[in-house]
Amino acid sequence: MSKSINPLFLLLFVVLAFTACKKEQIYVYDVNDVTVRQPDADKPNVKSTTEFISIAYSDLFGTQITQAKLVNLQLAYAAFGDLKLMEEMIIKNFLNESGVDIPSDAEMRNDVGTFVDDSYIKFYNRRPNEFEKWHVVSAINNDSQLTPELLWFSMMTSNEYRYY
Amino acid sequence: MKRRSFIKKAAAATAGAFAAPYILPSGRLFAATGQRIADHVVFCLFAGGVRNFESMHKAEGNLMPYTLNGNESVTLSGMSPLPSPSGPRLQTMGTLFKEARFSLGPTGHFSGHSTAITGKYNLADINIKQRPSTPTVFELYRKHNSPSMSALNAWWVSNALGPYPALNFSTYPGYGAEYGANYIQPASIISTAGYDVLGHPKNFSQSDIDKVKDLREFFDNNFASQYSPGDAGIVNTEQDAVQLEEFINTSFAEATGGQYNDPWGLGGGVMNNDMYNIFFAIKVLQRFKPELMVVNMQDIDVCHTNFTQYCNNIRRADYALYKLWESIQSTPGMQDNTILIVAPEHGRNLEPNTLVDQNGRYALDHTSDATSREIFTLVVGPSGKVNQNQVISSVMGESVDIVPTIANILGFHSDVPGGFFEGSHLQAAFV
Repeated sequence: MSKSINPLFLLLFVVLAFTACKKEQIYVYDVNDVTVRQPDADKPNVKSTTEFISIAYSDLFGTQITQAKLVNLQLAYAAFGDLKLMEEMIIKNFLNESGVDIPSDAEMRNDVGTFVDDSYIKFYNRRPNEFEKWHVVSAINNDSQLTPELLWFSMMTSNEYRYY
Repeated sequence: MKRRSFIKKAAAATAGAFAAPYILPSGRLFAATGQRIADHVVFCLFAGGVRNFESMHKAEGNLMPYTLNGNESVTLSGMSPLPSPSGPRLQTMGTLFKEARFSLGPTGHFSGHSTAITGKYNLADINIKQRPSTPTVFELYRKHNSPSMSALNAWWVSNALGPYPALNFSTYPGYGAEYGANYIQPASIISTAGYDVLGHPKNFSQSDIDKVKDLREFFDNNFASQYSPGDAGIVNTEQDAVQLEEFINTSFAEATGGQYNDPWGLGGGVMNNDMYNIFFAIKVLQRFKPELMVVNMQDIDVCHTNFTQYCNNIRRADYALYKLWESIQSTPGMQDNTILIVAPEHGRNLEPNTLVDQNGRYALDHTSDATSREIFTLVVGPSGKVNQNQVISSVMGESVDIVPTIANILGFHSDVPGGFFEGSHLQAAFV
């Protein structure tokens, strides 16, 4: 009784023989340096009273709020039920203080795109997406009366500014 | 008439017939089904733990001459000068439950306030940093009475911070900030410190405000999926927020203009924090004419260390209460259309602690003994609606009865789902 070799088995043997001993390729992966920022879709935490007031002051004055002022603002903040309104009043008072550090209109209009990017990073801790940037840049370019102060006031009293 | 047109008209007429009863001339939708006794309720939590011995039983003389009948003299020295009442006492304009009770739960301030405002005894451990777990009277009122009406119709005015700001709405699912009350603790805002940090706002033109609104709407729309309105406390409409801001700025102007210096002409040093709190609550009443306001006083709690000042502050609270009622009666829209409910959140202990004051009197705490559960309840209102000059001396009425009583006055008692009322409407007070 003669033994015959199955042609399929032979084919499989040949394929394995030619692929099994392939020289290993070495891949080296690398990444470019990137600045990690919070995506807009991931801000689950509400700022505490202290955080909101301290960050807002720092964002506008570039320096830390004094302890005495912080305490007075914390009291007022706690003493009113509508926190959105209280935040708006706090920001309005900050904007009326001397020493507030807001770019001039000329600086903003010199490079609107960069100003919008910087404002998003400053207040929302992220870059604007393409649509956001287009919308805000257009708003500035189409309205000569839209000042940096108004844009910043809008951002600081928006809902996203309350979160991190 | 064509068949299609007929069907359309018939359907519209049927829908109108169903909808009409719910659309009131005021524009309100879904009106409460009950009949109102009055359109306004002011509930005063009086005033930091008052023992019935000193209030109802006049153990130190009549410390509440503006509220209670009688001229029993006060012999303690060190009382602030206050004018004597010349008109009818508050009790003659309503029903006085002399022996009401705060039956269950710890006789602490937050527990007492929380019970009075939610209508539920709190038997669990109380976390004073958390909002109530069951709906407050504000939420019941706004959700089941007139949900289309603004938050300016419900106010909670407290004389101190601590846990009290948390009482303007609960964490109960389906209620919460959307139906809560506007809250203010005036002493921390309309003050020198408050004016320093909030009294000098940047004023924007209407054109600037419109630009800000447009931009903010864009920013908010992009964040809408993550934003929860309750995270920012009570929710007011844009128009109401403008009114509130204007009210605060007006108050600053009045305060800096001297209107808050001895506003009742009592002489220097007589106005205490309770009196200022009532003074400001009156400002809120006059400005917004809310349908529901809860206001408290707390200075009587000095009794932990000084019995004489406790008695003195009962007198001051009594005078403030009179000024509150006087203002209600002189405010168009509220006059003869308001019911005032007055009740302490709890009483004080029978046995004193060890602290002795200048008159040799021992101080009192409130640690849930039987005496600290004794309170009173006074219901004052127009004749024809509230039983006048009625005194109920038997044990009747509880702290948890106040919320269902308010619900009955404002006509939404039967609209509140079962289980939210632990107590009963104080029927005996009403005609």
